[in-house]
Amino acid sequence: MQDFYNILPLILVASGIVISVVIEILSDNSEKILPWFSALVLLSASVYSIMLMNNTGTIFNGMLATGGNVYIFHFIFTIGAMLIILGSIDYIKKYGSYFGEYYILILNAVLGMMIMASARDLFMVFIGLELMSICFYVLAGINRKKLNANEASLKYVLLGAFASGFVVYGIALIYGTAQTTSIDKIIAGFVPLSHNILFITGLFLFLVGFSFKIAAFPFHQWVPDVYQGSATTISGLMSTGGKAAAFSVLIILLSAVAPSNANVFRPYFAVIATLSMIYGSIVAISQNNLKRMLAYSSIAHAGYMSIGLASGNYESIAGIIFYLAAYTFMNIGAFIVISMIEGENDSKLQLSDYVGLNAKNPKLAALMALFMFALSGLPPFAGFFGKYYVFISAIEANLTWLAIVGVISSVISVYFYLRVIVLMYFKEPETSVAVHNSNYGVLAAVISALFVIVFGLFPGTLLDLITSFLK
Amino acid sequence: MNIYDIVFYLFAAITLVSAFFVVTTRNIVYSAFNLLFTFFGVAGLYVLLGADFVAVVQIMVYVGGILILILFGVMLTNKITNVQIKTGTLQVIPAVIGVLLLAGVLIFKVFLGTEWKSVKTDIPVKTTAFALGKLLITDYVLIFELLGILLLVVLIGAATIARREK
Repeated sequence: MQDFYNILPLILVASGIVISVVIEILSDNSEKILPWFSALVLLSASVYSIMLMNNTGTIFNGMLATGGNVYIFHFIFTIGAMLIILGSIDYIKKYGSYFGEYYILILNAVLGMMIMASARDLFMVFIGLELMSICFYVLAGINRKKLNANEASLKYVLLGAFASGFVVYGIALIYGTAQTTSIDKIIAGFVPLSHNILFITGLFLFLVGFSFKIAAFPFHQWVPDVYQGSATTISGLMSTGGKAAAFSVLIILLSAVAPSNANVFRPYFAVIATLSMIYGSIVAISQNNLKRMLAYSSIAHAGYMSIGLASGNYESIAGIIFYLAAYTFMNIGAFIVISMIEGENDSKLQLSDYVGLNAKNPKLAALMALFMFALSGLPPFAGFFGKYYVFISAIEANLTWLAIVGVISSVISVYFYLRVIVLMYFKEPETSVAVHNSNYGVLAAVISALFVIVFGLFPGTLLDLITSFLK
Repeated sequence: MNIYDIVFYLFAAITLVSAFFVVTTRNIVYSAFNLLFTFFGVAGLYVLLGADFVAVVQIMVYVGGILILILFGVMLTNKITNVQIKTGTLQVIPAVIGVLLLAGVLIFKVFLGTEWKSVKTDIPVKTTAFALGKLLITDYVLIFELLGILLLVVLIGAATIARREK
C-alpha cells in the first residue's frame, strides 16, 4: 500500500482523467464543472507532491521514482497546468471553441509529463513522452476553424512523430548494448558502456529526439509556428511543462555522468546551447507578434538551460531545476496576460497593440512588466537566479566561454523584453479603448507573479531543497 | 550460406525494395499495396528472430488492420486515386551530403566498429506468447495500464479532431 500512497499525485491525476470523461458524458453543465474539477485535481496533486517529497525511492520493480526532485517536477507541472486552466476559463470562450476534451487533454498531458519525470525505465520515458505529445498535438489544433491552428497541429504532429522515431531508435540501440531498459542499471554500467560506439549512437539519437522537445536550435523550426498557431494558453503549457518534462529526462541521463567526470555529452550540449541562445535572442528582436517573440525567447531559454547540461555537475542539475521552476511561472504568467489582451480571431497580438497599455489597463501592464523583467533575467526576480546558477555551474566546469556567451545573449535579449515595457508605459496610446481582463486570468497571473517574486527573493531555500535531494 | 541466411536475405530484400516503391511511386494505391509487402517482409524477419508473437501481431495489426483501413480510406474518398502525390525532392545537394555523412558514420564507425555479440542457438520452437503475457501482468504491469490510458487519449484526441462543430 505504501507504494500506492507514494505515487498519490500520479494516481490523483490519472483518476481525475477518468472521472472527467464521465462528467463530460453525463453532465449537461460540464463546461462549468470541468475546469474547476480539473483545477482541483491538479491542486490536490501538487499539495501531495509537496507532502510526499521526502518519501524517496523507486516502486513497481524500479519503474517509477518517487519523492525528491521528481516531486519538485510534479509540483511544477501540476501548479503550472492549474494556472493554465484558470487562465483558460474565460479565454477559451473568446477563442471560439469550447469542448470538455480541452480540460481532459490538459490533465492527460500533465500525466504524461509526470510519468516522464518519474520514469526510471526507458519504456516509461517513451510512454510518458507519447502521452504528453499526443495531447499537445490535439490541443494545438483544438479549434478546427482556424487555419493557423490546423497548420500548427499538423506541423507539430509530423515533426513530433519524427522526433519520437529518433527516441525509439535510440532506445532500441541502448537496449541492444546495455541489455536492459532500466535507467538505474544503465547508469550503473555507464562508464564501460560509454566506450561502446553503438551505445553512444543510441544515446545520441535519444538526445536528438529530446532536443526537439526542449526546442533547442537545430531542431527548433516547429516552435514559432506551433506557439503562434495554438491557443495562447496551450502555447503557455507547451513552452513550460513540455520543456520541463523533456529536461527532467535529460537530467536523469546527466546524473549518470555527474559523479565521475565522464561527460560524453559536453560537446553536443555546448554547441546546442550556444546556437540556441544566440539564434533565439537575435531572431526574437525582429518579431512583431508577441507569441512568436516568446517562442524565440523559449528557444533562447532552452539554450541557457542546456549550458547546465553541458557542464554536467551537481550544481548544474540544481541550477536547471531551479531555472525550470522560475521559467515555468514567468512564462505561464506572460502567456496568460497575452491571452487576456488577445482579441477574437488572433487579433491584438502585435507589439503595437501594447502601446500605452498602462493607460488602458494598469493591472495587466504591471503584471506583464513584471514577467518581462523576470524573463530578461534582471534581479531581483527568479529569472536572474536561474541564469546565475547555471552560469556559475558552467564556470565550475571550466566552460567559462559558454557562460560568457550566455551573458552576451542575455544582454541582447534584454532589448526585446524591455521594448514591451517601454511601449506599455512610455508611449501614448492611439486609441483609448479599454482592455478588459478576466478575473480568473488575473488571479492565475498574480499567483505566477508571486512565485516569481518569492523564488527571486528567497532563491536559497528552493536551491538548498533541490541540492539536498541530489546528494 | 545456409538456408537461414538465404531466407533472411529474401525477406530483407522484399522489405527494402517494397519500401523503396512505397516512397517513390506517385499513385497512392500502389503505395498501399507496396506497403503490404513491407509489412510482410518485416513479419518474416521477426519470425527468423524467434519472435513469433510479434510477427503474428505485425501481420494482424498492420496488414489486417492498418493497411485495410488505408485501402478503405482510398476507396471511400472521392477522387483520391487521381491525386498526384508530390514526391519531388528539394535541397538535393545538402540532403545527399547529409545522408552520405550519416551513412558513412553508421557503416564505418558504428557498424564495423561494434563488437557484435552473436549467440549460436536454434530458432526456438516454443511460443513466446506465454512468457510475454506473464511479463505484461507482472514486471511490466504499470506499462500495460498506462498503455490503456494512452489508448484512451488517442481515442479522445481522434474524436476531438473529427467531431462535428457545435
